[in-house]
Amino acid sequence: MDLVRAHVLVCGGAACVSSGCKAVREALEAEIAARGIEREIKVVVTGCMGPCDLGPIMVVYPEGVFYKKLTPDDAREIVDEHLVKGRIVKRLLYTEPGTAEVVETQEAMTFFSRQERIALRNTGVIDPLNIDEYIARDGYAALGKALTEMKPEEIVDTLKRAGLRGRGGAGFPTGIKWDLTRKAEGSPKYVVCNADEGDPGAFMDRSILEGDPHTLLEAMAIAGYTVGANQGYIYVRAEYPLAVAHLEHAIRQAREYGLLGANIFGTGFDFDIDLRVGAGAFVCGEETALLASVESRRGEPRPRPPYPAASGLWGQPTLINNVETYANIAPIILRGAEWFSSIGTEKSKGTKVFALAGKINNTGLVEVPMGTALGDIIFDLGGGIPGGKKFKAAQTGGPSGGCIPAQFLNTLIDYESLKELGTMMGSGGLIVMDEDTCMVDLAKFFMQFIQDESCGKCAPCRIGTKRMLEILDRITKGQGREGDIELLIELGEHIRTTAMCGLGQSAPNPVMSTIRYFRDEYEAHIRNKKCPASSCAALFNSPCQNSCPAGVDVPRYIALIKQRRFDEAVDLIRATNPFPAICGRVCDHPCESKCRRGTFDEPVAIKSLKRFAADWEIKNKHQYRADFAPPSGKCVAIVGAGPAGLSAAHYLALFGHKVTVFEALPVAGGMLTVGIPEYRLPRDIMEFEIEAIRKAGVDIRLNSRVGVDVTLDQLKTEYDAVFVSVGAHNSAAMGVPGEDLEGVLPAVEFLRDAALGRLVKVGRNVAVVGGGNAAIDAARTALRLGAKEVHIVYRRLRSDMPADPAEIEAAIEEGIQVHYLTAPTRLIGADGKVTQMECVRMRLGDFDKSGRRRPVPVEASRTIVDVDTVIAAIGQSVDTSFAGKPADGQEALLMTKSGLVITDPDTMQTNVPGVFAGGDCVTGPATVIAAIGAGRQVALEIDKFVGGAAWQHADVDVERVLVGTPIEEQCKRCVMPEMPVPERARNFKEVELGLTEDMAVAEAARCFQCDVREP
Amino acid sequence: MGCCETKCAGDITDITPEQWAKVDEIIAGYQGQRGVLIPCLHEIQQIVGYLPIEVQERVAAGLDIPVADVYSVITFYALFTTKPKGKHKVGVCLGTACYVRGGDKILEKVEGALGIKAGDTTPDRLFSIQVMRCIGACGLGPVMTVDDDIYARIKPDRVPEVLKKYS
Repeated sequence: MDLVRAHVLVCGGAACVSSGCKAVREALEAEIAARGIEREIKVVVTGCMGPCDLGPIMVVYPEGVFYKKLTPDDAREIVDEHLVKGRIVKRLLYTEPGTAEVVETQEAMTFFSRQERIALRNTGVIDPLNIDEYIARDGYAALGKALTEMKPEEIVDTLKRAGLRGRGGAGFPTGIKWDLTRKAEGSPKYVVCNADEGDPGAFMDRSILEGDPHTLLEAMAIAGYTVGANQGYIYVRAEYPLAVAHLEHAIRQAREYGLLGANIFGTGFDFDIDLRVGAGAFVCGEETALLASVESRRGEPRPRPPYPAASGLWGQPTLINNVETYANIAPIILRGAEWFSSIGTEKSKGTKVFALAGKINNTGLVEVPMGTALGDIIFDLGGGIPGGKKFKAAQTGGPSGGCIPAQFLNTLIDYESLKELGTMMGSGGLIVMDEDTCMVDLAKFFMQFIQDESCGKCAPCRIGTKRMLEILDRITKGQGREGDIELLIELGEHIRTTAMCGLGQSAPNPVMSTIRYFRDEYEAHIRNKKCPASSCAALFNSPCQNSCPAGVDVPRYIALIKQRRFDEAVDLIRATNPFPAICGRVCDHPCESKCRRGTFDEPVAIKSLKRFAADWEIKNKHQYRADFAPPSGKCVAIVGAGPAGLSAAHYLALFGHKVTVFEALPVAGGMLTVGIPEYRLPRDIMEFEIEAIRKAGVDIRLNSRVGVDVTLDQLKTEYDAVFVSVGAHNSAAMGVPGEDLEGVLPAVEFLRDAALGRLVKVGRNVAVVGGGNAAIDAARTALRLGAKEVHIVYRRLRSDMPADPAEIEAAIEEGIQVHYLTAPTRLIGADGKVTQMECVRMRLGDFDKSGRRRPVPVEASRTIVDVDTVIAAIGQSVDTSFAGKPADGQEALLMTKSGLVITDPDTMQTNVPGVFAGGDCVTGPATVIAAIGAGRQVALEIDKFVGGAAWQHADVDVERVLVGTPIEEQCKRCVMPEMPVPERARNFKEVELGLTEDMAVAEAARCFQCDVREP
Repeated sequence: MGCCETKCAGDITDITPEQWAKVDEIIAGYQGQRGVLIPCLHEIQQIVGYLPIEVQERVAAGLDIPVADVYSVITFYALFTTKPKGKHKVGVCLGTACYVRGGDKILEKVEGALGIKAGDTTPDRLFSIQVMRCIGACGLGPVMTVDDDIYARIKPDRVPEVLKKYS
C-alpha cells in the first residue's frame, strides 16, 4: 500500500462544477503525474463544501489549507510550491470580508469555525462515490446498532427525547411521526424521502444528496425497521441530475455490500430503496402531491386527514421525511438523545442548515445550532453585504415564508421565533436583500412563482393568487389604487384559511409579511407613484434620477454633455437644482450607487460631470436662461439661508412671488458656507451661485435672527406664507466628564468660526471624535490650521462611518490617523485646560434598530493619550429659538421631543397654517441634495397654497432619444484629478481640480441612457 | 381541440422506425408494474425528444391505461413536452431591464419573422422561441440569444439578419 502524505480535496458540488472544478482537478492530476508523485498525493473529489461563490475550491491536508477561486493555471503553482516544497500559495488564500484578514486553513475561516455540522458532517469531506469512505466515518454503524441492539420502540423513544423536528418546513416532531406510522394498521408500509427541493434559493438537500448519499439510505433503512416497512422510495427532482447519479450509484454499492436488500446484517430484516425522479412541479414538495407523483399520477395534493402515516402510498401507511431530517438520524442513534438535545433552543433541538443567497458575500451552505442570531449568520458566517450596501431584509421559507427586516437581526433563529416574526423556517433558504431590492417587486416575484406552480385543483390558490398578482402588478406599474393594500390583506386571509394544501395556505405569506414590515414602500408606489429602491422601472425615467432627492434629470444632461451642449446641460440641471457647482463638489451622489452601469463595470461619474458643466458655465459667463412668471403679488418669508431655504427662494422667485430670506449669520449659504471647508467648496463658487439667486430678485437679509430681530408671529402676519429652514446648527454633547474644559470644541462651532475667519486656535495634538462628514471636515481643517498631529476616534469600523468614503481616504492620505473601535470616556485637564483624553476599546455587540452592530466597551482596555484640543463631531440638533414664544391666541409650532419640526409629508406644512418647514430642521442632519430637493418641493407646495399656477406644470414629459451609442465594452470611470498632498494638506486650496472637457465628454459616453425606452 | 396542442408542428410524425423500436422496448420493460408511467415517459422523451399523441397512444396501450391518463400526466409536469424543440433555440429576455428597453418589441419581431409564437417550433423544426427571465446582461439590453450566442442591444430591424445566419 502506498503511503499517502497529502490529501487534496477538490469540491465537486454542483456550484463548483459550474464554475469549472473539473478542469482544475484534471490540471492538478496532470501536474502531480508530471512530477511522479501520484503515489504520495491523493486527490479526492468531494461533495459540496459550502462556500459556493468561492469555487472552484480545494483543501490540502494534513494542514487543511483552503484555496479558492482556482483556475487550471493555478494547479502547477500549487503542486510546485505547496505539494513539493511545502510552501503555502498565499495569493489563493481566503480573505475575511469583515476584517480583510488572510486566512490559511479551512478551520480558521469564520465561515467554518462558527458552524456545527451534523447533517453536513460528511459533505465536502468524503468521496460520495466511495462507500468505504462513508463506512470509515461510522457509516452504517447506526443501522447495525439499531438492528442488533434496539427495539423499534426504543428508536422512537430516542428520537422523541432527542427532540428532532422535521427539517422540511413546519417542524413536526419526527419521533411522533415515526411512532404514528409504526402503530398504524396495514401492510405493506412504505418509507419515503422527500428530495423534491424546490424553494428558490434553497440547495441544502442537493448538497447532501450529491455529497453524502449513503446517510439517506442508512436512515431510511433504520426508519423501515422502526415502522415495519421493507420498501423505500426517494423522490428526487429531475433538475438535480448529479444527485440522481450519485444516489443510483450509492444504492448499487449498498446492495453489493448487503446493506440494502434481503436479510441485512443477518437479522432477517429486508429493505430496499428505489428512486423516483420528478418531472418539474413545485407542488410535488407537498407530501400528498409527492405521493401521487410517486404513483405516477398528476402531482395534485389532497385534503388531510388522513395523513400519510395512516394512508399514504397506494393507501398504505407511509412515513415521509425530508433529506435533512434523515441526515440527522444516524448521529442521534450513535451518539444518543441527550447529546442531540443539548444543542439548540428549548423547543428546537439540534442544528439547521441554511442556504445563504442573494446580496451576501459568502453565498453557500452553513449549518449552525438552532438559536444562532440571524445577524451572526448574515454578518459573521455570510460575511455581510457586498459593495458596502445596507442590509434591508432576509427572506426565509421561500415562497411560503416571509421577510425579516433589519430591526430583528438579534433574533435567535428557531421554529418558534420565525413564526412569531410572520415567517417560517421552511427548508432553510435565507435570501438576503439590500437597499436595492423593492419589497413590492419581491412579493410580486414570489406570487408569480406561486401562479406558475399552483396545480389548479382548488379555487383559492388558482384564482386568489392570480388576483393578488394582478394587484401587485398594477402597483408596480404605477396604477395602484387606494385600498389595494387592504384588498391584498383580505384576499391573503381568505386564501390562508381556505386553500387545500400547504402551498396555497402559505402562498400569501410573502405579501402579508412585506406589507407588515414595509407598508410605507407599498404606499410610496400607490400614492406617490414612486419606487424608493429604483427597481420598478415603470415608475421612473432612470434609476439615477429616481434616487436623486431633487429629481435632477441626470441622463438627459449627461447626453447633452456628450454632445458638447454644455450650456443646455447646466440649464437643465438648474431646472430642479439651483446649485450645480456646489453639488458637483459636495453632493453625496445617491445617484451613482443606483447607476446601472455599476452592475456592468463602474457607475458613471455623475457628480464630476455635473461639476464640469457648472464650472463651464462660470468660466464662459453663461447666463442661466429661465422663464420668470409675471409678479403674483404674493410674498413669502424664508427663515434660514441654507440650501433648503435658498433653493425654495430660487423657485418661488421664478414662480413670480416676492421672497425675503432672513439669515441669522453674517453670510448666506448655511452649512454650505459655515460647515463645509473651503478646500472642498471654494468661497467664490458659493458666491457665484448665491449671487444668481439674488439676481432672480430674492432679498437675503443677513444678521437677521428670527426670534430676536423679528418674531415668527410677525412673519406670519406680514407674509402670505413662511418657510422654516433653519437647519441643525447645534452640536450634540459627548456626555463624558471634562467636556467643559478649555480646548474642547463642538465641531459645528469650530468649523463655523474657521469659515468666518474668526480666530481659532488649535493645539499640536488634536483629537476629533466622530465618524461623519463633520468629523472628517474638522480633522482636515485642524490640520490646515497648524495642528501637528490629528487623530480621529470612532467607535465602530471604517465600513460603518457615515462620512463619504472618498473624504476618509483623502484625510488618511493627508496623514490623519483614524482609530476605529475606540471611544472617549473622560477628558482630563490641568488649570482648566484639556491635556489628556482617556479612551476605551470597543467591540461590536448585538445589532441596533438600523441593523448596525452596537459598540460595547471592552473591560480593562483604557488608555490615556495626550491632547490639547478635542473636537466633538458626534451629532447635530436644531436650534429651536427661532420659534420664540407665540403671542396669546397663536398656535405654537409642533416639534418632536428632540426638537425636529413636525410637518405633513405631502404638503410640508406644519400644524400652523401657512407655515411650512423642510431640510435638516425636519429630517435631522441629512444631505445637501436632500435639503435642495425639499426646498424645491416646498416651493411648489407654497405656490399651490398662495394660489399660483406653476405647481401644475412641474412635471412635463419630454422626448427621450438615444444620442449615439454608449460605450459597450467594459471601461473604468474617469478619475478626478487632485492636487498632490504636499501642495494641499496645509492650506485651504481646492483639492479636487475638475475634469477636462475631453474627459467629461468621454465619461458621458459611458452612460447607458436607461431613460430611453425605445431602442 | 387537443390537436392544436399536440400536432401543430406540421403533423409530420418524424419518429424513425429505430426510435419506435426503442420506444416499444422501453414500454415492454415497464409492463405489469404499477406507478411506472413517469419513469417510462422520462425514458421515451430521452429517445424521441418530445411526446406527441402517437407516442402517448402507444404508451397507453402498452401499460394498459387510458390515453387520457397519459395526456393528463404529460401536461401537468413542466419537463414533459408535446411539442418538438427546434434545432436552434431563440431566446428573448423579458427581464425588467430588457423589457423596458423594448424586449417585447424584439419578441414580436422574432415571432413575426418565424411565423410562430413563443414556446412553439417552426414546422421545419429549425427554430423554437423561448421567453427568458433576466439573464444578467441588463446593461446590454434588450438581449436576444440564439443557442449560445448573445446579441446585445438588438434592434427589431436587425432580427431578420440574425435569424438568417442560422437558416
